[in-house]
Amino acid sequence: MILEVKNIEKAFGRKPVLKDINFLLEPGSITGIVGENGSGKTVLMEIIVGVKKAQKGKVHINGKLGYCPQKAMLFSHLTVKEHFDYFSIAYELDKTQSKLRTEELLDHFNFGKYKQERIINLSGGTQQKLNLSLALLHQPNLLILDEPYNGFDWETYERFWNYTTTLKNQGCAILIVTHLLSEKVRLDRIYKLENGILV
Amino acid sequence: MSVKKITTGVSMILRMLVRQKIVILLILVIPAFFLTIVELTSSDRILPFQLASVGEDIFVNISENGISFIFFSVASSGFLVSFLALNLIQKNNLVNRRLIICGYHPVELLLSILTVLVLVITFIAVYVGLLTNAFYSIEHLEKFILGLVLIGFVYGSYGLAVGSLIKGELEGILMIVLLVNIDVGWLQNPLFYAEAQNQIIIKFLPAYFPSQTCIITAVTDFSSSSSTMYSLAYGSIFLFFSMLTFFYKMRTK
Repeated sequence: MILEVKNIEKAFGRKPVLKDINFLLEPGSITGIVGENGSGKTVLMEIIVGVKKAQKGKVHINGKLGYCPQKAMLFSHLTVKEHFDYFSIAYELDKTQSKLRTEELLDHFNFGKYKQERIINLSGGTQQKLNLSLALLHQPNLLILDEPYNGFDWETYERFWNYTTTLKNQGCAILIVTHLLSEKVRLDRIYKLENGILV
Repeated sequence: MSVKKITTGVSMILRMLVRQKIVILLILVIPAFFLTIVELTSSDRILPFQLASVGEDIFVNISENGISFIFFSVASSGFLVSFLALNLIQKNNLVNRRLIICGYHPVELLLSILTVLVLVITFIAVYVGLLTNAFYSIEHLEKFILGLVLIGFVYGSYGLAVGSLIKGELEGILMIVLLVNIDVGWLQNPLFYAEAQNQIIIKFLPAYFPSQTCIITAVTDFSSSSSTMYSLAYGSIFLFFSMLTFFYKMRTK
């Protein structure tokens, strides 16, 4: 077991958003979470990664976490390369590992030509490629992806799924928030978040 | 605690700061603009005013433009540092939080921000000090620059406190402009407080001691050690509060 979510409850004021959420993620699996806008999917992701605190319950992570937030969280005045350098230091990767992984991800998602560009000058799709790549940089064994392909073109979308499938085959557990019904075939398990309950 | 993480943080934050043209423009233009306005508008007439922090009966005579140069250099330093401190702590709040999820400790990130703030305060104090000295001959330039560092410390810490407490950029700027305007921009003007009905309130405002340090060192030979100590104490309270808030907000749950 890589992730255990146990009895999670969260309310904003008097409005309950998550009610007694429980699930496990096993190595080598892709799990999808679907639900309407405002159903609490992002809140659940933020509780799992530790950005938000649940009123009740526990999250147990067994391994290296990679998190791709819904909106690209990047420094607008740093370049793509500087982001890889900054996050490599955060993940405590050595220089060789950092260089290798940076080149690999730039190459895989086909945005190497923007390496020296500042974020402020990039399109939304390229920013999202970087947003995702930063979550993958340290080769995590648990990936939390909150609608990671916003703004991707079809080719990048396919590349994303190829990469994700490879990670799954290497034993990574992936939790992905999605809206697309067409993705059902790629997922091992789907949960629906409805009225705060996971079904 | 990793030194490498802190030095990388400092290097990245500095790059972000110098790449914002408006920041460089503000630092260079605002003090020069303020002092030029003083040069163009104030007269040479001699005014006596009370040096409140030295003693109730201590009065000094100084020209109107002399005291205005000192006063406006303090005001511009306080405003600039406070605004930049707010920018440093508030602007990249969400990405900083992401860095913490990825392995940075909130203290490492905070130390990176504080190091950059110290560099910014020093740069602004030296630049404004030398610029003021070009307009008006300062009695003890090094000590005057130290006074500007103190106003930077107090108002920089205030900017950090506002930035770590308030989410909205506009609300943060408003909080800074309000206090800077009332405190440094009005009540600490020695020509005002010497005649003020209630000096106690003015003495409790953040800019009082750093302003006094600057005035004492710029035009007299009196010791400024007491106002320096109080300035450090005042700034430390803001700093402690901002560090606590930052740490509380940024920690992973």
